[in-house]
Amino acid sequence: MSEVAVDLACELLVQSLAAWRVGGGVARSRDGAIIICGACKDIRIDPAPSDPMFRWMVAIDGRKRAAISIVGVLRQVRDALDPGYAANRVRVTLTPLVPY
Amino acid sequence: MRADVIPISVLTGFLGSGKTTILRHLLRQSEFSRTAIIINEFGEVGLDHELLEASEDSFIELKTGCLCCKIRTDLAQTVQDMLQRRDEGNCSPFDRIVIETSGLADPAPILQTLMTDTSIAGHVVLGGVVTTVDSVTGATTLEREDISQKQVALADRIVLTKLDLNGPAQPVLLRRLTELNAGAPVLSADRGKIDSQCLFGAGFYGPHVSSPDINSWLADDRHSHTRHDADIQTYTVVRKEPIGAVTLTLFLETLAEHCGADLLRLKGIVNVAESPNRPAVIHGVQHVFHAPAWLKRWPSDDRSSRIVFITRRVPQRWVEALLEAIGVEVADVSARR
Repeated sequence: MSEVAVDLACELLVQSLAAWRVGGGVARSRDGAIIICGACKDIRIDPAPSDPMFRWMVAIDGRKRAAISIVGVLRQVRDALDPGYAANRVRVTLTPLVPY
Repeated sequence: MRADVIPISVLTGFLGSGKTTILRHLLRQSEFSRTAIIINEFGEVGLDHELLEASEDSFIELKTGCLCCKIRTDLAQTVQDMLQRRDEGNCSPFDRIVIETSGLADPAPILQTLMTDTSIAGHVVLGGVVTTVDSVTGATTLEREDISQKQVALADRIVLTKLDLNGPAQPVLLRRLTELNAGAPVLSADRGKIDSQCLFGAGFYGPHVSSPDINSWLADDRHSHTRHDADIQTYTVVRKEPIGAVTLTLFLETLAEHCGADLLRLKGIVNVAESPNRPAVIHGVQHVFHAPAWLKRWPSDDRSSRIVFITRRVPQRWVEALLEAIGVEVADVSARR
């Protein structure tokens, strides 16, 4: 995983905590993980090893779950930190992604 | 857009703000003929339709109750019935529908119904949203009534009424309208008189779809991105580089998932990397997104993506960080293949 991707994930989490109005801070550890501390739960997000199925490994209070994308990371983190979160996960695809 | 698909526009505005007066004048204009009207009044007995004199080419349907809550499900049925009667020759022909909401209606659920109901999908598309604001009492109403703020925030066009009573609009009102919806042009109606094309040419899906004035629809104002009050924010996210189709899909899905009702409205023109010559037009209300429309060509030399957000407490920086993070991740994955 590129360093840029991890940096942008870190920035997204910083902005997300602010947007969700939950406490805590986001930092990078020396081994490259993203750490969310000071919130109601301890969260550590690692870029996954070269497993093609997952890109991230999210540990919430020590319990690890894989995430296929940054969108999955965001969902897990919000689920853990924001008690008022009720995601709308309905997906309706009506048209092709491109006009061909 | 198929030739048999007709636009539905929404005329909204707080109680007494002049919606019916405007409609009465519009119905006298020849350009407004072949228009079906749905009037929604709040209360047991509707009166507004009594105030209208429709031409023979217009067709008026009355619904009492509030469309955005009590009889929301009736809306799609009403539209379906009107289309059927037209097709069977049982009413005046029409090729446009305008819904006049009650003054207490939240336009968002109405827009959602129009965009998602399967019984009318394929027959109608969402046209513009026009909101009337009383120039005499508007500032106070906007201060006190949340629903009035939402009506303004969701507008493609804002029409100031009753200027004949009070002279030019007060700066405090104009400032408030700009705070709530910087993108929507503010027009004036002279005792209810206003050109119908100024109002209902507002939506991208209107009659001029073959040469859409996309900048007008977006009300693009990229040099002053963020205007906000305590709750409602309007801003434009601009991207010079094309956005991948997968990135765009994930971005919209994530917005819907995390913002829900706080994403009051989103509209934009997007340079999709896989379709460089045909931009996508996207449109969403709360967690519901319209299927993208693909323009035949770019409307101008400007090929940047421009997405206008009207939100309640969704920070612009979060939206931008989300788009950047998804875009880089998708590119990362693609590069590995």
